[in-house]
Amino acid sequence: MAMQMYIVAFKGQFSQEVSRGIQHRIRQNGGYILMVMKTGVIAALDDSRVPQVESHPDVGLVGGVTLNPRGYAADRLQKVFAENLSKQLDVRIE
Amino acid sequence: MPNVGAELASVPFGKMIYDMASAIARSQVALDKSSIALVKVLASTTFDYVPDVVETLTPLPRPVKGVNGAPLLDSNDDPVVVTGVQVSTTVGDSFPLTLLQAGVNPSFYQFTNSTIEVKMSITSTQESSNTLDVGVSVTASADFLFASGSVSSHVNFTSSNKYSYSVTGSSSMSTTLVPVPPPKNMMPRFFLVNAMDPTKISISQS
Repeated sequence: MAMQMYIVAFKGQFSQEVSRGIQHRIRQNGGYILMVMKTGVIAALDDSRVPQVESHPDVGLVGGVTLNPRGYAADRLQKVFAENLSKQLDVRIE
Repeated sequence: MPNVGAELASVPFGKMIYDMASAIARSQVALDKSSIALVKVLASTTFDYVPDVVETLTPLPRPVKGVNGAPLLDSNDDPVVVTGVQVSTTVGDSFPLTLLQAGVNPSFYQFTNSTIEVKMSITSTQESSNTLDVGVSVTASADFLFASGSVSSHVNFTSSNKYSYSVTGSSSMSTTLVPVPPPKNMMPRFFLVNAMDPTKISISQS
């Protein structure tokens, strides 16, 4: 299926170790980290890989989200997402 | 002979449709519950939002250096000065903003275009063969006083019938799941109150 934007919420208290572990799981499954917060991560992920991320013991919830352009900080979020995404994309010119 | 109509009538279409509709309804409820749980997560997830960054440009004249680092002088022996610029930055106070306020909305999903396809193949073959073998043998002999004769005959009749009848069927069900905008009744309303003029309240909803 297609790549979608998801919020991956942590199960317990925030810790760097938990956050890194979940980010690593997302990257292992071909996902991209768009924004990291204390309570979770916003990531771009393929639909078919959601169960693999959901199975991480520190993940409390994985749910699809969309960006509402009328939101108070939608344009800022969009820039943050794009900036973080560009750092992870591997561009090959042949 | 095969009765195609009877075979088709035996397909439990009603039950199949009911089972599929029931499964879709259960899945839809589960998906909606999940999305509503997500609204709570988004409404309680905050991040520090910096509303503005002010960058002020002020002139910063500076003399131009010449050879060996000495100030460059013009024809009147005055130092050559260029107008530089200094940028001073003031970052506004941050305040907590929820992801929902910021513009991250939960995705709601809806099932569309559900299809049930039943394929049935009915094959019937009938084969019959008959063989008939008739034979007559006559023998006769005669001598001086006696004469004898015999007649024998045989009839072999073989009949075989082969009859085969097979029905094979397959069914497939498919449905499409599409993301839809959040239903209004499931999304919170935002009341924006201007503290300087509390009579002016704007209400918005995702």
